[in-house]
Amino acid sequence: MTAPVIQVQAPLLQLNGITKVLKGQEEPRTILSGVDLTVHPGQSVAILGRSGSGKSTLLSLIGLFDRADEGQYLLHGNDITKLPERKAAALRSAEFGFVFQRFFLLKHLTAAQNVAMALVNGQGWSSRRKRKQQVMEALDQVGIAHLAKSKPARLSGGEQQRVAIARALVRQPRVILADEPTGALDTETGNLVVEVLLGTTRQGCGLVLVTHDHDHARKMGRVLELRDGRFN
Amino acid sequence: MFSGKLRSALVIGGQGIRARKLRTFLSMVSLFLGVLAVVTVQAGAEIAERAMLTDVELQAGKDGTMMGYIPGEKGAPGIVEATLKGRTDAVAMISSKAIIGEPGVRPINEGGMPFEYANRGGDYSGPSVYCDAAGVCQEQKPQEKKPDGQAIEVSMVALTGDIRPFKPFRPVSGTWLDFATAPSLAPRIVLNEEAAKGLRQYRIPGEMMIDGATHHVTPQIVGVVEDGNVQPRVYLRLDELRTWMPAAAATSELDRFRGGGTGLEVYMQPGSHDLQQLLKAKLVGAGVDQNQVQFRVVNSKERMESELKIMRLIFLGMAFLVLLIGVAGILNVGLATVGERVEEFALRRAVGMSRMLLAGIVLAETLLTGLLTAALAIGAGAAGLQIALMMFGSRFPSLQGTTFPWEAGVAGVIAGLVAGVLGGLIPAIRAARIPIATVMRA
Repeated sequence: MTAPVIQVQAPLLQLNGITKVLKGQEEPRTILSGVDLTVHPGQSVAILGRSGSGKSTLLSLIGLFDRADEGQYLLHGNDITKLPERKAAALRSAEFGFVFQRFFLLKHLTAAQNVAMALVNGQGWSSRRKRKQQVMEALDQVGIAHLAKSKPARLSGGEQQRVAIARALVRQPRVILADEPTGALDTETGNLVVEVLLGTTRQGCGLVLVTHDHDHARKMGRVLELRDGRFN
Repeated sequence: MFSGKLRSALVIGGQGIRARKLRTFLSMVSLFLGVLAVVTVQAGAEIAERAMLTDVELQAGKDGTMMGYIPGEKGAPGIVEATLKGRTDAVAMISSKAIIGEPGVRPINEGGMPFEYANRGGDYSGPSVYCDAAGVCQEQKPQEKKPDGQAIEVSMVALTGDIRPFKPFRPVSGTWLDFATAPSLAPRIVLNEEAAKGLRQYRIPGEMMIDGATHHVTPQIVGVVEDGNVQPRVYLRLDELRTWMPAAAATSELDRFRGGGTGLEVYMQPGSHDLQQLLKAKLVGAGVDQNQVQFRVVNSKERMESELKIMRLIFLGMAFLVLLIGVAGILNVGLATVGERVEEFALRRAVGMSRMLLAGIVLAETLLTGLLTAALAIGAGAAGLQIALMMFGSRFPSLQGTTFPWEAGVAGVIAGLVAGVLGGLIPAIRAARIPIATVMRA
């Protein structure tokens, strides 16, 4: 009789001792200092903290918008700490979905075209038909497929944020990075948006949510608070 | 992979242009003028070159034609005529003099000068010098002064065949000489414009006295051509002239300088080396000095291109300056647009677009704008040319049949592309440098 095997799911991403120093014209300022973070598939993590505590900087490092000055970043166990820009762009496209406080929808494009923007980014090419199908699935996932042809000006704040979430989901990312996605919404709409985001974790997607809202944070699997560049 | 990037750049570039129609239009306006300037200069230079070439070819012969000067001695005209008989790839021109009008009078334009100078009057009583086609000059004996009368003196050119494949004379009125029919006893002549002007201006009897001919001739005027000569000239078939000449007159060495003499020019199609050798052998065999039998290739284009080169460079320089203003316009609009689209570009990079592709999109937008502008400028240039030709074409015969030169179209496309690249490069670099974190801080 063989011993039962305990399957430990490999982490989606792992940050070890990440440090980020802001070098400007003034004196260098340490934004993050030795931060460790691990996110597993299907896990949701809320990051709380005051303004200037480094939440957004951490998210930009996770999303490969920027590079850490020290520490190690592993994605699926692979070290991507010093990834060149071109490969970082490809990883952003394949692995991450981003949701921001402001929705960043292009006003001259329809909801569907805004979602399709994530597909027309030079990382591969699919037919117009295939793109349309992917876009409609993403819009359907956030419950606004019927608004596909609407331009942002005709959508409410909640609907616009859901278009932004659909844009983040359309490439079926492994991790969703959301930077205060409810900051510009009323409580009810904010709750709806958080529910939509949590829904993605049920499909195995990791979620890192930066928020000021403790109620929303409590809905996440883990809650971390950044203070002076470190997790408490 | 490349295809995906290119398609993405074109799709997004197209969306960008559609989203900012007014701005695109404004950047096109200044660029349009620049590209139009390049197109106009290039088209103008090409058309001027063709017109000048046609004018040069009227006198010197078509570019590439093989031309020979042969002295009219030792039976050379007869040898040339016999050798070229029935051939269409070579034609000989035998020049002489003739007087049309009253017999035994002093012509209005004595010496065959243009009528503009003849009208000034005056009695030139100095020595008379005659130069033949080969440039050999000899002083003529003073002649007995004749009374003034209604006659004009013309240079007479007898042809062994149709000269127009070698010298593209432009028809003015009537017809050209028909070499396919039997020779006529009344020689058919075609006048150049200056000769026609003389006949129009003065009341001239229709009688012609040909140097060396035995009798006066009554010619039939069949047409008028523009031949590029300022002196009055008539063209006729050599076989029709022969009827009126004594057998030896055109071939005799003595006739060479008698009252105008005989000069021989032979025009052959490019590459007619065998015919040239044959003709030379026959002439040398007949006793003509082989050093005097000269053949050369007509280089009308080369001669004219050097004249046009400086002019074209000056105008192209001016057009380039206008184009630079267009580039400055598109650059200005491009930089302003990048400033406005910072968030869009940062977002595009956030969703996986590389810096290079982002720069490519901005360049694609300006390139598309440049190409569209170039297409409009080329269309405007072609339409403008057609309108100009309709309005002024009749005043400039050398412009008749002119079409929009393809070289101008190519120059316009290149100008549009270069302007697109120059105007889009700096905005593209700026766009590529936008940090993605911009979207996080917004």
